[in-house]
This record gives sequence, structure tokens and C-alpha cells, in this order.
Amino acid sequence: MSDTAPFPIRPARFRNPTEETPLVRRLAILAAVLGLALLVFAPLLVVFAEALAKGWLAAVTSLASRDALSAIKLTLLIAAISVPLNAAFGIAAAWAITKFDFRGKAFLITLIDLPFSVSPVVAGLCIVLMFGTNSLLGGWLVAQGFPVVFALPGIVLATMFVTFPFVARELIPVMIEQGRAEEEAALTLGASGWRVFRTVTLPNIRWALLYGVLLCNARAMGEFGAVAVVSGKIRGQTATMPITIEMLYNEYLSVAAFSMAALLTCLALITLLLKTALERRHADQLSAAHRH
Amino acid sequence: MTARPLFQRSPMPGFGLSMGVTLTMLSLVVLLPIGALLMKGAAFGPAGIWDTVNRPRVWAALFLSFRLSLFAALFNLVFGTLLAWVLVRYRFPGRRLLDAAVDLPFALPTAVAGIALTALYAPNGAFGSLAKEIGWKIAYSQWGIFLALVFVGLPFVTRTVQPVVEEIDREVEEASATLGAGRLTTITRIILPMLAPAALTGFALALARAVGEYGSVIFIAGNIPLVTEIAPLLIVIQLEEFNYDAAAAIGIAMLLISFAMLLVINLIQIWSRRRIGHV
Amino acid sequence: MQIEIDEIAKSFGSTTALHPVSLSIPSGALVALLGPSGSGKTTLLRILGGLEYPTSGRVCFDGQDATGLSVQDRRAGFVFQSYALFRHMTVFENIAYGLKARPRASRPPKAEIARRVTRLLQLIQLPEIGPRYPTQLSGGQRQRVALARALAIEPRMLLLDEPFGALDAKVRKELRQGLRDIHDETGLTTVFVTHDQDEAMELADLVVVMSGSQAGGRIEQVGRPQDIRARPATPFVRDFITA
Repeated sequence: MSDTAPFPIRPARFRNPTEETPLVRRLAILAAVLGLALLVFAPLLVVFAEALAKGWLAAVTSLASRDALSAIKLTLLIAAISVPLNAAFGIAAAWAITKFDFRGKAFLITLIDLPFSVSPVVAGLCIVLMFGTNSLLGGWLVAQGFPVVFALPGIVLATMFVTFPFVARELIPVMIEQGRAEEEAALTLGASGWRVFRTVTLPNIRWALLYGVLLCNARAMGEFGAVAVVSGKIRGQTATMPITIEMLYNEYLSVAAFSMAALLTCLALITLLLKTALERRHADQLSAAHRH
Repeated sequence: MTARPLFQRSPMPGFGLSMGVTLTMLSLVVLLPIGALLMKGAAFGPAGIWDTVNRPRVWAALFLSFRLSLFAALFNLVFGTLLAWVLVRYRFPGRRLLDAAVDLPFALPTAVAGIALTALYAPNGAFGSLAKEIGWKIAYSQWGIFLALVFVGLPFVTRTVQPVVEEIDREVEEASATLGAGRLTTITRIILPMLAPAALTGFALALARAVGEYGSVIFIAGNIPLVTEIAPLLIVIQLEEFNYDAAAAIGIAMLLISFAMLLVINLIQIWSRRRIGHV
Repeated sequence: MQIEIDEIAKSFGSTTALHPVSLSIPSGALVALLGPSGSGKTTLLRILGGLEYPTSGRVCFDGQDATGLSVQDRRAGFVFQSYALFRHMTVFENIAYGLKARPRASRPPKAEIARRVTRLLQLIQLPEIGPRYPTQLSGGQRQRVALARALAIEPRMLLLDEPFGALDAKVRKELRQGLRDIHDETGLTTVFVTHDQDEAMELADLVVVMSGSQAGGRIEQVGRPQDIRARPATPFVRDFITA
């Protein structure tokens, strides 16, 4: 296979064969920066700009109003109820799924993931249909003096629905990866079930648990669609922070709406900060999808 | 095939408790409410649902939601793949900030995103006024809905593709080059096919999310029936008018679309696992 | 094709991988680059293949300077340590890849591509595996497919990076003979990298013993296997080949 044709020698600068040309690289970076600037950074800035459009005093005053404070309290209360419940569910589900073998496991996981593929509005609708005053169960509960829809329990349920998979999804891959050997070893040493969980399992999953709780909390405090359907939007009673933002915005109270939004944006930024810190420091104890 | 036992005995404690908690909470929070919706649907049957859905305003809303979600997810498919590539392969100042920013749509409440995007892209907003100069109306048009849906779907493709880009064996790219392929050929024939399963999964997730999205869209949409009214909003409107049957019918239609997409996601994953041996 | 390596050096940042080395490879030879890890043998191979650019020095093919020649134009059949088969393509598509990637003017017609792929599959003695995917093959089969893929572009030389590194002892022995046969049949100038002195001594016409140090890899001795065995030029060579 000898070939006597002269080589087409390229005097141009040698290029690494697994890299794009500098021009292509620059254009790609530019597109990425520009896209994120228009979609993410600019909206972030505008929230604070609009909140402070009339100065700090106006922003703080709007947040100190009775309705605003009640919305903040309600949102905190909802998160304080729904997040621990979902964390408990996540731990129980991950334990059942990763420590035992049973038929229908894949189906169970699909069911747990279900809320991610249901529109929040449809989730709210489901809760209204089940517990609304014109449903059998809802009517009875109202008669007992325990209304669900247009009241706190409904908002908590809606919030739990949309955040349901967060913790379980985070824990299951981590616990599959860690296997059962450590727990089995502890059992042979005579530890009780609870003790094994507290002293062996929990330390191994704590960062993944925190990660899941973090995301669950961010979504719980920020949920809008599902809550909008079930809350009834009663000012000072069932209006959460996101619902209050909508009401203020529709009343053209821009500073007040954006001040409340700025508060939630801070929450989102803190969540991102903690999440990034977890990904850097404890990558080995998070599910593989979050290691980078 | 021998029947597997329903449950394999295990020395591990706590099966009853953990499974009990799991099934109880799953039923109370998710399954029973969805069951209530399905029961409602069963009560007035396929014909009843069809009668409700088969109205111009409902069709327009469903079609609009699906069409714009598809466009937004397609945009995210391209932009998200590019973003994943840039974030993994290139080193430049601010890369980590950019990487963290990709997750913002996951963390930022949708209502906040909605009013922020509206403030920017409305005709009197910072970018909206520039667009207005060239006669381009973004907020209060279908462009606005598209923009909001791109925002909420942004992280999905990037976050599914990123780990795959990290795993690409450089030797495979080098092999392509030694065989005479230029960089463009290597990208289109080798790299993109390797990213395709992950990118498609991200695309389907972004699509599913967009179809059901409500909070970030309603502020920027303008909400004009037949033009910029999305399907979830129609449900909310029906509920506000205490028109539960209509709301349920539209809800079931949307639920079916979601399930269909869930099925597609799973099929994509099975297909890619079979062909390439991994997801 | 005759290969001339003229004072080639390579450093990555502050670490030196190759001290300036010179080497002349006669046309049609089967050459082993033998040395421990860190001796720069893979770096040298990658410079020959156009995957790295030397910090200084020249590479000449048949007397012509090829230092700046791009990897695509070099037509060096390169077999990677990991084989680097394209997982989303069948064996057939893998082997045909280099031919299909050519610019339209020099791309052979479809039937011709199929004919060549079939011939190569026969050459590696795996005529039946065309429709399979790489994940369905054994390690030895993958290595042979990688070899066939490299041969498909009608290379001017064959470069192999630890071609038998990932295989068990029995398969390794078989494939050594396979490589020897293919070399003899094609007459291609062939350079392979190995850390296994038995492999180098048994297979190669010419063995290049390399050593590594802080100052970068260098060539200790070049010679026929029997000469290196009989007269090791340096203490390093003596220790390495008797180890």
C-alpha cells in the first residue's frame, strides 16, 4: 500500500484534534453567556431593581404590612409541616425500596415519581375534587368543622403533592450504591433496627438527605400553581407568599409585589449556594447525577 | 419463567413500618387525589369528556400549551446541549457561576420568574422596549409564553447531558480524527449520537414540565382566549366559576398527555440502554 | 513508509514528557516502543499519529517534513489502548467510518465500501460480526475490529498503543500472531507501544527501549531483539529486560 503522492502539508498552526477552533469556542461561550444573561441573570436583577425602585424604605414598609407578614408566616408554616413529612416519607420509601426485594418495586418507584409529571394545577384540581365541599368526603369534613380546601390542610396537601418525590429521589440512588453490607454487619453485632438506622444508615445518607430537603423546601415555599387552586386566596388567611405576589402584582402594587418576590429570590439564591457547596464538598455522598 | 416470590425474606428490620408509611402517605397525598380525578372522569365517561374538550376554546388552549411547550423544549434541546458542552469542555472566567445559574429555574418560585420576565419583556420593560422598536411584541404574545417555558425547562437538558459529556472517552474523538474525519464530522457523526439518548430524555422532561406549567406563564401570557390562553389556566378559570366537571375533563386530558409523555421517556431510556448499553 | 524522528521533545506545562529524541524507522519495519510508564513512549506514538504536537523537533515521512500535518491528513492507522470503538455503530459501520468520512470527491461508492469492509472482516478472521454492536463483542474481538477500522483508511503506517494491554494471557498470544500476520501481509510500517518486554522481543523486528526520568523520557537503546538481549547498552536496559 505504498503511496508516492506528496503529502499535503498544512503549514497552518497544529490544532488539538479534540478541540474546536478558537473562533467556534468563543462563539459557543458567547451564546451560552448571552442566553443565560437574557434568561436568568437579567430576571434576577430586575426583581431587586423593581423592589428597590422607590427606595429601601418603601420595600421594607411593604414587607412589614399585616398581610405581607401573615403571608410570610403562612409560607413558613406550610414548609415547616410539609417538608419534614416529605422527608420522613422519603426516608421510609428509600429504606423499603433499597433494603428489601419485592415484586412491583419498579412500579412503586414510578408511582413515587408521578407528581413530577403532573401539572401543579391538575394536582390542585385533584385535591379540590377529593376534599372540596361538594365531594362526599369534603362535605363531611366541613360538617365536622375541618375544612380542607380553601384552608391550611389543603395548601399543605397540595404542597406535599408537588414536592413528594424530592427526598426519596435523592436517597434511593445513594442507598442503592451504598448497599446493605454495613447495616447487615451492625445487625450481626446485635444492634437493634432503630439503632442500625440511627448509627449506620443516617450518617451515610445525611448529606443526600439535606440535599433533598433543600430542594424540597425551595419548591414548597415557592409553589404557586397547585396552591393557587386550593387556597381560595383569602388575604391574611390562605394567601401564601407566591399567592400574595400575584395579588399585589394584579393590583399594580409593583414595589410590594417585587419586594415579596425579592425575599423568595433570596431564598432561591441561598438554596443554590448551599446546593453548590454540597456538590463540591460532599459529592461522594450524593447521587451520581449531582457530582460535577 | 418461574414466579418470583412476592417478597423475599430478609434479616433487615423495618419492612412493615417503612412500607406502611410509604404506602399510606403515597395513597393519601398522591394516589387518592388522582383517583378522585379519574373517578370524576369515569362518572361522565369518554363521551362526556369529549364534549367538554371538543370546544374551540379548550382545543385552542390544549393545542397552544402543547405546541409552545414543544417549541420551548426544542429550543432547550439545542441550547441545553450547547450549554452542557460549554460548561464541561471549555475553561473560561465565570464558568462556575454559569454552571450554578443553570439551576436557578429549579429554585426560583415560578410566580417570581413570571413577574420578573414580564417586567423585562413587557413593551415598557428593559428588553421589551428594545424589541418594540423593531415591532416585536414579546410579553402578552405567544413569544412571552415561549420565553417563560424556555426558562422553566432550561435545566433539564443541560443537567441530563452534562454527565454524559464528562464521560466521553477522548480516545473516541481522536479515533474519529485519525480516520480522517474533520471536527464537524466528528461532532455530528460521533458526539451528537452519543449525547442523543440523554438529550432526548432531558427534552421529554422539559416538555412534560412545560405542558403543565402555570405560574411563570400567566403573568407574561396576556391570557386572551383562543390566542394566549394555556390549558392549565383554563382549568383554574373553570374552578373559579365552580365548574368542576369541565375542570376535571380538561384535567384528565392533560393527565393523559402527561402519562403518554412519561411512557415516551421510559421507552427512550429502554431503547438507549439496549443500543448503547447505558443511559 | 520510512519515518524519521528528529530531535523531538514534548512538555506539558512544566512537566517534560520527552527529552529530545531521534529515531529512524525503516520502511516496512515492525517496531516496538518498549519502556516503563512515564518513559514517553505513548507520547512519541501520539506525536507520530498527529494527536500531539511536539514542543520542538521534526517528524519526516519518506523524507518530507510532516510535523505540521493534521491528524486527518496523516493517514496513520491508529489503534487505541481502549480501542475507542464507536458504541452507537455496528462493527460494519465502525470499519466503514473512515471511508464514509472522506470528502465526496474521494469517497468510494457504497458497494466498494461494503466490499472493503467485508475483506477486512475476513482479514481479521471475524467475517460474521458485521451487524453486531461493540458491546456485544469480546475483548479480543474488539481489538481486532479496532485494527480493521484502522486499516480501512489504507493507512501509510500503523500505530498501536498497548494493543494487547487489556486482554488476558491466552488471547494476547493469539493476537500477537494475528498482528504479525497482518503486518507481513500489508507490509505497513508498524509501531506499537508496550511495557511488556516479552511482547516486544517476540513480535518486533526493531525494539526501542525507553526510560523515564524528571528530565523526560529518552531512548536508551535501539536494536534487533537478539542484539538488545545480547548486548544491553546501558544498565537501565539490562535491568529492564531481565526484570
